[in-house]
Amino acid sequence: MIEVNNLKKIFFDKKRGEVKAVNGINLHCRKGEIFGLLGPNGAGKTTTLRILATMLKPTVGEVSVNGYDVIKEAHQVRASIGFLSGETGLYDRFTPKETILFFGRINNLPDEEIRMRMDEIFEILDMKSFQEVRVDKLSTGMKQKLSIARALIHNPPILIFDEPTVGLDVITARVVLNYIKEFKNRGKCIIFSTHQMQEAERLCDRIAIIHKGEILAKGSLEELQQRFQEKELEEIFFKLIRVETGVRP
Amino acid sequence: MNWKNVRLIYLKEMQGAIRDRRTMITTILVPLIFYPLLFLSIGYFSVIGERNSESQSSLISIVGAENAPELVNLLEQDKDINIVPTEENRVKELIEGDIHLIIRVPESVETDYSEDNRKDPPSIIIEYDSTAQHSLVAKKRVLALIESYRKGIVQMRLKKIGLGHDFIKPFQEQSMDLAPEDKKAGFILGLILPYLIIILIFVGAMHSAVDITAGEKERGTLATLLVSQLNRLEIVLGKYFTVMTISAVSMFLGLIGLSIAFLLPAYIFGEVSVMGVHYSPSLFFLFFLILIPLVGLASALLILIGIFARNTKEASTYITPLYMSAIFLAMISLNQGVELAKPLFLVPILNNSFVFKELLLGTVNGTHILGTVISNMVVAFLALRAAAGMFQKESVLFRS
Repeated sequence: MIEVNNLKKIFFDKKRGEVKAVNGINLHCRKGEIFGLLGPNGAGKTTTLRILATMLKPTVGEVSVNGYDVIKEAHQVRASIGFLSGETGLYDRFTPKETILFFGRINNLPDEEIRMRMDEIFEILDMKSFQEVRVDKLSTGMKQKLSIARALIHNPPILIFDEPTVGLDVITARVVLNYIKEFKNRGKCIIFSTHQMQEAERLCDRIAIIHKGEILAKGSLEELQQRFQEKELEEIFFKLIRVETGVRP
Repeated sequence: MNWKNVRLIYLKEMQGAIRDRRTMITTILVPLIFYPLLFLSIGYFSVIGERNSESQSSLISIVGAENAPELVNLLEQDKDINIVPTEENRVKELIEGDIHLIIRVPESVETDYSEDNRKDPPSIIIEYDSTAQHSLVAKKRVLALIESYRKGIVQMRLKKIGLGHDFIKPFQEQSMDLAPEDKKAGFILGLILPYLIIILIFVGAMHSAVDITAGEKERGTLATLLVSQLNRLEIVLGKYFTVMTISAVSMFLGLIGLSIAFLLPAYIFGEVSVMGVHYSPSLFFLFFLILIPLVGLASALLILIGIFARNTKEASTYITPLYMSAIFLAMISLNQGVELAKPLFLVPILNNSFVFKELLLGTVNGTHILGTVISNMVVAFLALRAAAGMFQKESVLFRS
């Protein structure tokens, strides 16, 4: 469902000059699978996901999402994805119901269908009790549930989650992760970025370890454990970084 | 591009703006309540201040009183004037406000003309403080008395040689202002109204424009729109029409608010009844014809800045020079004598204020109106195109 071939994204920065945020990565992600991008801050995770979501254009490489090209068929790509990141905020002066109605409409759904799906999603995410409360009065956990509902309203086959648990308390983070698992069981293709090893271990079917814009290793947790002879993902990660940088972390 | 999507964005932004207390304050309260109150109170306090000064006696010190007993007599008879004993340091007292005016009378003011063989007539010197209202009132009173004192002496001299007052005043002049009442009122309104309305067009829309552009970037809500099925031009246009609506509402309420202020018992424009302005529907149509393109221009520039800025703080900083330029251009029309040369009628804001002024004076100049509308629309279009272009740029949307 997601195909990325030799993806490069090069920015020009006045101070740093040419910055290779993503430098030739390849990955694919299937239906009913959670694919994890694991890496530290600045590794290129967000840039990759933004390219998948058509917010940024690749400098080099081919990227297709649900069979559509992210440059030539951006509109169809956007219809196929639900995007959620720490950055995708909500409108403070709207209630969850109004928020979902708006996002349903801009995703070309008829009102009747929006109401039906909203009812279903609010039920699944246990949001009914606060559906009429303005967003600025909601707790962080409630807001994150609403963000998920917003990403799901048009029933996209692909979900892109960019560090969805950043800034959340442990309880809310756990709830969010459980929902992500639930979406996988419902047949969604999920690509998910994190810098937390435990999250990746717990959730991902396959993991790509990304550092300085390059994928250093990828495979299922078992495959990585076997290949690097380490049990903990954290150890594998540091082993790879050490090889890459030559510096003992 | 799908206009249904533009409408969705527009309705969403409008709903947000209506629920935002800050927008309500700048768009509704300021033009409808604060503006009229401000002008009424400025007018009220200046009238009260003037009345206070005029109700008090003027304290006057005379140096050389013995040289002009007749003048002293006139001054003493005036109930609004109080002659205070002369002290050594009169100037200091005048500056400190203890006395309001000093008259210095030279010798032989009242000397018989036949005995007067000086080339230049003697000068009565009046010392006052132009920064003190009391002193100005005293000066007005004293000058009136000195005038009648002078007339007295002239009359006496003429009488001595057997001539009447008409000898030195063969005729009188009388001026009559034939300007129609509405033109007089229009002139006064024309000086100040364009300036105030132009400011309102900018101020009313500023907060919302920043909030729905740079504010969305800051809160991270912009990304949610970018990954939806809207295209970027639809987003920009939806936001643009929102800012235009808010700016137009602010301008319209400003016109109402200022009309209320000007129509209330005229504290501001004393003698001229502003009610004399004849607002015909066609005049209103022309007002809107020249102001709506300005609303369009202001909104496009504000949106452009808002999209470019990283956050609301940066946007506010960038808007300040724009706002100051608008004030500067609008202020030029505050000067009575300035007439615009033809090419200057193509400068937006400047032309709006001048054409608005012309309309208030009853002049309808088709070329000026057309030039104003077209120049505003062209610049608005360019600014909007730049805004839409910027909305496509990753470096602008995702810079941090």
